Amino acid sequence: MPLTAHAELAQRAAAREVALVRWLHERGRIAIGFSGGVDSAYLAVAARQALGAPNVLAIIGRSASYPAEQWATARRVADSFEIPVLELDTDEMNDPRYAANPSNRCYFCKTELWSKLVPAAAARGFDVVADGTNADDVGDYRPGAKAAQENAVASPLAELGFTKAEIRARSRALGLPTWQQPSSPCLSSRLPYGTSVTADRLKQIELAERRVRDLGIAGDMRVRYHDDIARVELTPAELVSWLEPARAERLRSAVAAAGFDRVALDLRGFRSGSLNILHGVTAA
Amino acid sequence: MSVFASMGQAEARRRADQLAAALTGIGVPCKVEPRAALAVLMVESGVAQRLADGELRRSALALAREQGFTHLAVELTPPAAGANATLPRP
Repeated sequence: MPLTAHAELAQRAAAREVALVRWLHERGRIAIGFSGGVDSAYLAVAARQALGAPNVLAIIGRSASYPAEQWATARRVADSFEIPVLELDTDEMNDPRYAANPSNRCYFCKTELWSKLVPAAAARGFDVVADGTNADDVGDYRPGAKAAQENAVASPLAELGFTKAEIRARSRALGLPTWQQPSSPCLSSRLPYGTSVTADRLKQIELAERRVRDLGIAGDMRVRYHDDIARVELTPAELVSWLEPARAERLRSAVAAAGFDRVALDLRGFRSGSLNILHGVTAA
Repeated sequence: MSVFASMGQAEARRRADQLAAALTGIGVPCKVEPRAALAVLMVESGVAQRLADGELRRSALALAREQGFTHLAVELTPPAAGANATLPRP
């Protein structure tokens, strides 16, 4: 990024953070749905610094669709910045509407999450609950947003116009380890709609992605589940190098070891919402 | 909805075969397995590496789109399996 563009981004992000601090002070106390992803980690740290630890509660919803690696990141951020944490188990896997994996699957997951998280927050004196939705998310197909609205969950980052790039810029400035972490939606997003969500499949996907990471692939990456085939999406730069025969075999072998009979490398590379495109839910 | 949502198997197969022929024509000899709007390329050992060429890859993606496929992936096969595959020559 050219220096001036970089400086402009930093300036814009800093101005938004001033607005966020004002927003937080107006609420006084806040509970945050905290996944350890880029957005909720930034919101939690900003709130901790603005309001002090007694006035912030980061709540982690644990389930089979939540990667263990991300839980570890969430705990690391909370420990480093002294953010109080509450962990709750959510049970969306036992909701047949969720497990059937319809195109609005996220609605059922988020309904379960907020139905546990909001009362838990209220019981501890936190009347305001927020999530890490940002302004870039608003135009995407996100049925889970409806569940947040139904449960009166605030989205200050989206409300104040924070883009993902601005959140990364402020995260870097504040010293968050998540500032350049790839986006990490829940593991169920690797299953095509209509393919039922099971704990075994999620474990298989999580293991395959961990093995791909173990090869040294650090950027955006997904292992998409197509029954016997694992379709690996890498960034275009990574994709080119992993087509070389010896490296292709290392990649195949790593993913196959997670229990896939066949492994395929996507030739367009990583696309956020790839399976929405596959099903025609969003445009290619 | 994807065009494949309302398509019969025969039509999906026909599109896959047309894509395979078109890809073979540009130097990517392959078979194509249709999985809804995903086309999986099965190639002999060494052919996958040709797709590291950006121009060739973009052409392949464009040909897939022409047949209604939104996703194109190349199967990575163990060395022995890839060498033994029987595939059309360009």
